Amino acid sequence: MSTEKERLQSETYAQYLEKTHRLGRIFTSAVLILLIGAPFLMGAYLGAMPNLSAAAKAFLGVGIVYLISCIVEYLIYLPMLGAGGSYLGFITGNLINMKIPCAMNARDIVGVKSGTPENEIVSTLSIATSSLVTILVLALGVVLMIPLQPFLQSEALQPAFENVVPALFGAMACKYYRTNRKVALIVLTFMILLYILVPSLLGSVSMMIIPSGALAIILSYLSFRKKEENTDV
Amino acid sequence: MELLGRLNSPVMYLICGGIIAFVAVICVIFAVRAYKAGKAIGIDESKMKRVITASATFAVLPSIGILLGVIALSGSLGTPWPWLRLSVIGALHYETQVAEAAAEAVGIGGLSIAGMTPEAFVTIALLMSIGIMWGMVFVTVNGKAYSNKLTAPKNTDKKKKKGKIDLSGFGDTAMTAMFIGLVSAYIASYAASIISGNGSFTFTGSPLPLAVAVVSSAAMWVFIRIRETKGAEWLDSFSVAGSMLIAMISAIFFGKIM
Repeated sequence: MSTEKERLQSETYAQYLEKTHRLGRIFTSAVLILLIGAPFLMGAYLGAMPNLSAAAKAFLGVGIVYLISCIVEYLIYLPMLGAGGSYLGFITGNLINMKIPCAMNARDIVGVKSGTPENEIVSTLSIATSSLVTILVLALGVVLMIPLQPFLQSEALQPAFENVVPALFGAMACKYYRTNRKVALIVLTFMILLYILVPSLLGSVSMMIIPSGALAIILSYLSFRKKEENTDV
Repeated sequence: MELLGRLNSPVMYLICGGIIAFVAVICVIFAVRAYKAGKAIGIDESKMKRVITASATFAVLPSIGILLGVIALSGSLGTPWPWLRLSVIGALHYETQVAEAAAEAVGIGGLSIAGMTPEAFVTIALLMSIGIMWGMVFVTVNGKAYSNKLTAPKNTDKKKKKGKIDLSGFGDTAMTAMFIGLVSAYIASYAASIISGNGSFTFTGSPLPLAVAVVSSAAMWVFIRIRETKGAEWLDSFSVAGSMLIAMISAIFFGKIM
């Protein structure tokens, strides 16, 4: 009796998974098309189309870093989130700062293990719920922001908005530099000297991520290998 | 300023809001299916309700942090597009950085409404879409095969310990190194532009971006210290956006004296 019930449950779960993949693929493809189509649609309204060569140039600089980052995230997060959770997680984003900790928290609360059907269900429920909450909070926030727009657009506030990027990198520097101070100091000093000596490079900072990142990876690899050798001894 | 008005027009809200609404519907469909399947395979309903409640409460604080990101980007990209990007797929650090790189490539110097043109805006928007879509592409193309491979999750920890510890260990280190390189390329440019920003060793560049980065870094350090000493894990959700806002406010004051 119990075996029959288990067999039925197993079949139901297999059907659920199969349909989850099918729906996941359809919805993810649809969202991809919408996200890539939106700039062109907005362009039709604004009377301008994207400059594809500039987009390609910028992608070569900074997009490559995130392509690698996306591959790593995909390989690591899919086993954590399960099928349904992964489709939703990659569609709704904010993985590291919200979806992963939220799903982990939900799993811990109800005590399920990775790779089990329970994990699949709990992760999907958790990510769907947290995504809906974010969508609601942001929608409410945006509605409340409308009356504030004249204030946000005032001249006095422009220095603040013109320095969004330095503000971001300052915060990120603190976060990442403390993980490997020696590498950070060498790379930062090298890049400062390079820009000072070749000022024309200041016009294409996003391309300079490539040599800067390569130097950081090489130095980290050398220090990692040294640590490994010391551990072996 | 006229362009900012158009970026905040009802048409832009309609385009972006429509996509957000579609994603919300997808979330509801997945949640309902998961709940029904959970019931069918014998998961206790009270457990699933606890998951929903816990996840909803967990998400409120980080969502407010994400909203601060929308506010931070709204001055240069209008409200609807950052609203879409941060409701769906994006993350603040990624969006700002890619937008900056695209602004540079399109020839407006940097992410600022002052030099923004419609062409620059749609190019920035396109790059933001393309740059971070890869997770979605991989899961669409390979998600089923990869998750099928993972259906036998036995001894993954042991395998790592015995054979692949070196590589996986360096994977994390390499990711961090890559971000150190990325951040350094920008921070170094702020420092060097003071000296050579207007030509080699002219010492006439603006110190404002560097000052803002230093304030942001200091604010982040305070957030991290509070979290570590007081165990305030919830601060994680606000630390990046909070540091950015503190630094951006400081830019208003620095702007008057520099």
